[in-house]
Amino acid sequence: MISKQDFPTINERAPEGLKADGNPFRVLVVDDSMFVAKQIGQILTSEGYEVVATASDGLDGVEKYKELCPNVDLVTMDITMPKMDGITALEQIMAFDKNARVVMISALGKEELVKKALLLGAKNYIVKPLDRKKVLERIGTVLGK
Amino acid sequence: MRVEYINPFVEAAYNILTEVLGGQIKRGELYLKSTSMPVMGVAALVGLAGDVEGRVIFDMNMDTAMKIASQMNQEELKLFDDLAKATITELANLITAQAVTKLHDLGFRFDLTPPALFTGENMEISDHEVEALIVPMETSQGRVEVNVAIRDRM
Repeated sequence: MISKQDFPTINERAPEGLKADGNPFRVLVVDDSMFVAKQIGQILTSEGYEVVATASDGLDGVEKYKELCPNVDLVTMDITMPKMDGITALEQIMAFDKNARVVMISALGKEELVKKALLLGAKNYIVKPLDRKKVLERIGTVLGK
Repeated sequence: MRVEYINPFVEAAYNILTEVLGGQIKRGELYLKSTSMPVMGVAALVGLAGDVEGRVIFDMNMDTAMKIASQMNQEELKLFDDLAKATITELANLITAQAVTKLHDLGFRFDLTPPALFTGENMEISDHEVEALIVPMETSQGRVEVNVAIRDRM
């Protein structure tokens, strides 16, 4: 008789987006590009993360963070956005919640702004084009995975 | 037009198209245009202003734009909708950001406009007193022309 042990387990690894209690990490995605927001969402949800909300500008991002807090574990923040840029939005989120975990999503060539964001409290940054491995690695590091 | 301006765009277009589309990208022969020229159907335009001024257009036909947007989204898109437009705009952003980083490293200082996307048939573009250098890039999804018209600020 064939038992379960006879089949090799091909995927023993737990999804990175799950906390120790089995619940998903909750992420707020702030990006004015529908394409980039979708890309981040797909990468994160494929690893078990939950995208709890998306915002298409910094102002909307700050408002959504305030509404969701404390039920949000991480924010991905674009830098160049209409209405309010990502650096100002980061400042406002950090002023509201000093323990906020914000990861900046940057185009190449924004090194000065990325440095500024890190000094203001951003926990890490990811340079586009987005690479699945790099995104999961950086976000996992911030969440202590 | 100075060659220093064009090479970063050619290299960046090659690198980014290779990264986001996969497959082999071939660079065609450069050509120069000083009069008005047709635009293929989908054109993302980024303006530059500072030590240098001008614009860069990433030009392709609708079929190529749809195939590129589908490839970048890893799903077949049926319409040139907001998602497809955002995808082509992001492609222009990625190429321009990499090219501009190289130009900044060479000491040029200028700002960029966000990409504007034009779609339509029988469009032409004219650049007053700036010649445009066009670099065709052949991808598995079709031809993308990188059309650069930049000059030193007068």
